[in-house]
Parts: sequence; structure tokens; C-alpha cells
Amino acid sequence: MPPIKDKYTIHSKAVVCQDVELKGDITIGAGTVVHPKAAIYAIAGPIVIGQNCIIEEGAILVNRRKEVMRVGDDNLFEIGCRVESPTIGHFNTISAKSRVHHTVRISSFCVIGIRCLVLPADDEILPDYTVIYGGSTSGDAAGVDAVVERRVWSGRGKVQEADLRRKHAEYLREMLPKFNRVRRGDGS
Amino acid sequence: MAPSVNYHCPCLSSAATPPPPNLPSSSYSFHPLHTLYFCEECDAVRCNRCVSVEVSGYYCPNCLFEVPSASVRAEKNRCARNCFQCPHCRNTLSVVPSDPPDAGDLTSSTIQIGSIGEPPFFLYCNYCRWDSAEVGITFEKPTGLALQLQKTEDSAPDSLEFERLKEHFEPFLRASSLSASTSHLPSTSHAPHTHTNPITAAASSALARDIPGVGKYNPSLGRSGGPGGGGGRSGRDRTANKDEMPEYRSRVQIGGAGSGGDEDADLMRHLEVPAEIARLEQRWVSSWATSLQSKHLKPLRIPLHSKPTKRCPSCRHILIKPEQKAQSVKYKIKLVAANYLPAITAHLPHAQIPKRPVALKSSVTSSTGPPAAEEDTAEPTMVAGKTYPFQLALTNPLYDPIHVRLAVQRAPLPPQLQSQDTAGTTDKEKEKTRRPPFAVSLPTSAFPIAAFAEAWEYEDEEELFDEDGGLVDKSSPAKDRAGKGKTKTVGVLEKKANCTVVGGEVVIGREGRGDVKFNMLVSYTYRSDDPAPSDGGEGDVEPRSPTAPKAAPEMKTFSFFTVVDLGVIVPKDETKVE
Ligand SMILES: [Zn+2]
Ligand SMILES: [Zn+2]
Ligand SMILES: [Zn+2]
Ligand SMILES: [Zn+2]
Repeated sequence: MPPIKDKYTIHSKAVVCQDVELKGDITIGAGTVVHPKAAIYAIAGPIVIGQNCIIEEGAILVNRRKEVMRVGDDNLFEIGCRVESPTIGHFNTISAKSRVHHTVRISSFCVIGIRCLVLPADDEILPDYTVIYGGSTSGDAAGVDAVVERRVWSGRGKVQEADLRRKHAEYLREMLPKFNRVRRGDGS
Repeated sequence: MAPSVNYHCPCLSSAATPPPPNLPSSSYSFHPLHTLYFCEECDAVRCNRCVSVEVSGYYCPNCLFEVPSASVRAEKNRCARNCFQCPHCRNTLSVVPSDPPDAGDLTSSTIQIGSIGEPPFFLYCNYCRWDSAEVGITFEKPTGLALQLQKTEDSAPDSLEFERLKEHFEPFLRASSLSASTSHLPSTSHAPHTHTNPITAAASSALARDIPGVGKYNPSLGRSGGPGGGGGRSGRDRTANKDEMPEYRSRVQIGGAGSGGDEDADLMRHLEVPAEIARLEQRWVSSWATSLQSKHLKPLRIPLHSKPTKRCPSCRHILIKPEQKAQSVKYKIKLVAANYLPAITAHLPHAQIPKRPVALKSSVTSSTGPPAAEEDTAEPTMVAGKTYPFQLALTNPLYDPIHVRLAVQRAPLPPQLQSQDTAGTTDKEKEKTRRPPFAVSLPTSAFPIAAFAEAWEYEDEEELFDEDGGLVDKSSPAKDRAGKGKTKTVGVLEKKANCTVVGGEVVIGREGRGDVKFNMLVSYTYRSDDPAPSDGGEGDVEPRSPTAPKAAPEMKTFSFFTVVDLGVIVPKDETKVE
């Protein structure tokens, strides 16, 4: 296996903090915010992240496959989540400390609840508006809820949520550079 | 399980001494120290089984509104403001406006939303994304939602049926409360209770009250109306009343949705995904029987909580009383036993010896041994036929030093302690009937525990061993090999601040089985604040140690029982298997 060649393409309107771990071929779209202490590892294939995503502290995005891992627009990756999905659509919320395995592809408007572990044995595509949330049993020692419930969200309130997501990102783009050093891509 | 020490509350029996620790009933008489109260008036320990509880206030756990008790019933014990629970995940719901009419293309960079929310409003769960529009509940205004919901709750068939039932029984209840005032049962007729007081008396007379149409309970005749023959005898004089009650006809049809009838059976038969059926925990928070289907679950008003006040059952003094404010977690009055009685913790030094033998033993035990040994591989085990030292650490909560004397009750005493006068003397005859599985030695003389003080107030610790009998080599007995304990392990081992550690020893018989669990009488002498202690009088309340030293008049002695559980005995033959 050839050594991973680092290549970062960061849009000039993206805010990627200096204290972020990047590995491999990574493209970050306009308006996307990457907090300090987040990590993006393109181990096997490249990772392409769309516009206006928010990647919070301690969040880890990993691509273990050869093909490109595509992350759409307006996704929120909360603190300490770990996502290895080969494709992610738009307007998804990956909640704090959740873990999504590489066998899961995420469509749009999905919510992975706090601490939820999504690890299907076979490859699966979560349809739009899928909500996964913690079950009635408490989490195991690993700090995740392996027993999860599923629902389909009606989508009511999505416009307001999208609006909030945009404002959230906008605020971060303004505030983060005041307190953190920002990384520039190879391209800019 | 680590060794434990629980404290006795004598409320469950008239005897001053607690039940033998090997009886199942024993566990009901003993409690962890932190759950106990202490009545200064009665000079006695009180537990949650004997205190009388009254509600001092109701509040909503979500909005912390203090609900006047007058409205609690009308609002059916649930918050009447804007607090709702998600029927699926029990998260708190929030009221949100609808999206603007044209959702359009969200990925385009322009989303315009006015600052004022658009009706209709609905309840929305931020966690599982359920919303009340799914069950057709929306609101024109974001206020007064509880009132609107309660209206639908109250119009539920079950609710209406309940109201009708109440109306139906109303005249009978009124009549029975009148008759109760004329015919009080003598207090001797119901179960003898050591602490009869106005509240328990009222409660038990209410329970024993004559209800027209219902067979009378007569203690001398035994159960009436039961499956036995008692019903006929007592029913005879009640026939007149029975006829008075007209038959009640239900309006709700049995077998409708949610009541387990054909409709539900049919639903279950055609079930495709288990999640279609609401789980039991999702349904039973609801006030009335609801549909089985999870898609029919309705938002719930949040149930109120209450703050209780607890009183001493015999003198009615308040033992604990919270502050009225729902936001406050403080207490106005707090008489907890932990502030009066020395805290005692037990441990086995041999359990701290590296895991090797323990782990092996318990793995053998789990196959054939007593079930209690199964859960924890690190559990200290005691092998039959061996002798083990154990330690009791006593911590003094008082601002004055105390002198403590320990005595084993009823437990088999080794010969050298047989002469000692313990509280178990009266039971010595019983002991002879059974071969004891183990014998416990404890220090026989009283030992001091320093006063409680703030950490910085302690002087350099001096070893004050002069007051004790024949004690102790300073080398910790914890390093003694298990099973080879010497007599030196019994006595005061360590004094530090307001904590004194004493050592004891347990000799396990060759045929010993079960738990090493024994009752221990703890008597401590302290300087009393009030000069004239009313000793005696409450003989039923706490046993006074017969060995309590007659000290200076301002000294008082308080005695209480504890149960010390050191763990399970591993039968000897099983350890040979390895
Ligand atoms: Zn009690
Ligand atoms: Zn409330
Ligand atoms: Zn919910
Ligand atoms: Zn009292």
C-alpha cells in the first residue's frame, strides 16, 4: 500500500482551525467550519466535504474505502462523534458521541442520536428523515447505546432547523477566527 | 459484595432485640445508615418504614412551578402549564411554529424565515423528532396548551366512566363516613403496632371502616368474603346494605382498543414491525388505557412531583422537612441518624491480598457453591474451618468524644468471651439448639473515638492506647496471612481524627455454611447537653445496654443494633477441587 499523500483543498470561505488533524486527500467546501481538535482521516480514499457543514471538537471523519467519501452540505457533526459512512447527504445531524460504521450510508435530514451506535451487519442506506435515538436500556461500558430505536421524522420544522443551521455556521465563521488560528489549503 | 454494616430500627417488632440475621425478615429491620432518621424527643432511630409521611408541596419537575394542593386534584396530578412529555422517548417537548408555507429548495443558499412563528403550533421532540401533528394535535396559539390537552383527556371514555363511577359511589361513601363516626373499632382489634399515633390510628380505622355493601372484616372471625367460609357468617348482618346498592352499568365497552379485546388481538396478528406496538413503559405513564399502536400515542402533561415531610411516628415531631421552594434542595429540618450515630464500615484485610487465591476460589464456588458468590470474582471469600481477622472503622459525627462498646448478639461466642455479659444473654438457650457456623470475637472493653472537627482543627495525632486493655502491636494485621490470625488482631488498631479502627476475628466452623452475618450491639457514651436525661420511659424504643457504665450524671449512653455482613463461607471440600 502506497503511503498516504496529504493534499488539502480548502475553500477560501471555509474556516478550518489550525489545531485540526488532517490526513490524506481532503477537500473542504465553502462555508464549512472545522473546530479545533477535530480530525479528518482520508486513510484509503479521498474525503470531499460540501458547503456549510459544521464539524465540532473531537469529531472524527474516517474514510476506510478506496472510493471517495462524499459529505453533502449543511451537515452537523457534534462533539466526539465518529463517522465512517461512505456517503452522507444534506442537513444531517450526527449527535455527540455517536458512532456510525462504514457499512451505513446516510441520506438527507437524518438524525443520529446522542451516543447511538449504528453498526449494521450488512450494508445499509438510511432513507431520508431517519431518526435513530437511544433505546430504553442504558449504554454499555463503551459509552455508546448499542440498542437503538428508529423513527421516521415527518420533516415538520425542517425549514426552521435549516435556517438555524445556517445561522449557527455563520456565527462560527465569524467568531472562530478571532480565537483560533485558521488553516489555509494548498490551493489558496 | 463488600462487607456491609446496616443499622436496626426497632419499629417492626415489639421486642427490643432484632431478629437473628440469618432470618429473611432480618433484612427488613436493618437499613443503611444514610436512610435513617433520629428523633431527639424520643431518643430513637427512625426508618422510612415507621415515619409518617405527609406531602409538604407539589411541583412540576420541568417548570418548577409550585402547584397549590387545591389544584392538584383538578389538574389530575399533572402540570397544567406548558410542560409535556414525548410519548415515545419521554423527552420534554417544546412548542414550535410551523414551517413557512413554501419549503422550496433548502440547499439553495437563501432560507428566509420571519421572526414571528406561523400557526399552527405543535409540540415537538428535539430528541426523537416526534411531533404532535402526527396524532393530529395542533394549536392556533402557543399558550394554554395544557388546558386544551386536558379537555381531550377529560373527554376520554375511561375518564368519563371514572367520573360516573365516582358519582355512583358518592352517596355510599358519604353514608359510610357518617357511620364510621358512630362505630369506631377498638384499637386492640387491629394488628398490634408499637407506635400507634393519631395518623396511623386514623389510617387503620379508615381501612377497617364498615363499607355498606362490602362484607365486614372481623378479626375474630377471620377473613370475610374470602374464598373460605367466613363470607356467609359476616354477610348475614350486611344483607340489608347490600340491597341498597343499585347495580352499576358501565358505558364503556369492554374489548375496545387498548383493553386487550378482539380488536387488539387482530392488530397483533397482523403485526409486521414490533415498533408498531407501543412499549409498556410508553403506555403506562398515560392516565387512561390507550391504543396499543405507537402511532396513536399522545403527548402527556408532565406528572407532578411532591416534597414529603417526615414525622416521628410516636411523638409527631418533624424529622425531615424540605424547603418549600421547588428550586431549593435544602432542608428546613434535617434530623438524620448519620449526625447522631457513629458510622461503621467493615472490611476484611485478607480480601486485599493479591487476587490469585480469591479468584480461583470463587470461580470454583460459582459452579457448585452458594449463589451469592457468583457475581463478583473479586469477592472476598472465607473458607470453612479457618479464622479471619476483620476490621470495623467507626467514625464519630458528634462534636464531643465518645466511648464505644461493642457486643455480638446471639452469635456463637468463643470460650474466652463466654463470660462476657452481652445483650444476647437471654437467647443463650436458643443457641444451644443449633451448632453455630462461626464465632466472632470483638474487643471487650470500651474504646474512645475523638470528636468530630473540621480537618484543620486536628492536632497531631497521639496514640492514646492507655485507655484500652491489652492492645496492640502497631504492625498492621492486614499483613497477617489470612487464616492465621492471632489474638492480637482483636482490639483497637488505629485512631485517626474522629475515626477509630478496631479489629475482630471470625472463626469459621468446619461445617460452617451460609453468610458470616451477625448482629452487633453498639453502645456509646457521650456527654449530654441536657442535664436531666429522661432515661427509661421509652423502653420499647431502644434497648439500653445492661453493661452501660454508670458514669457521671451528664454522661449518657445510647445503644443500637447493627448487622455486620462479612460475606459468604466457602465450604471446605469445594476448595480442594482446584
Ligand atoms: Zn422504623
Ligand atoms: Zn410544568
Ligand atoms: Zn421524543
Ligand atoms: Zn419522636
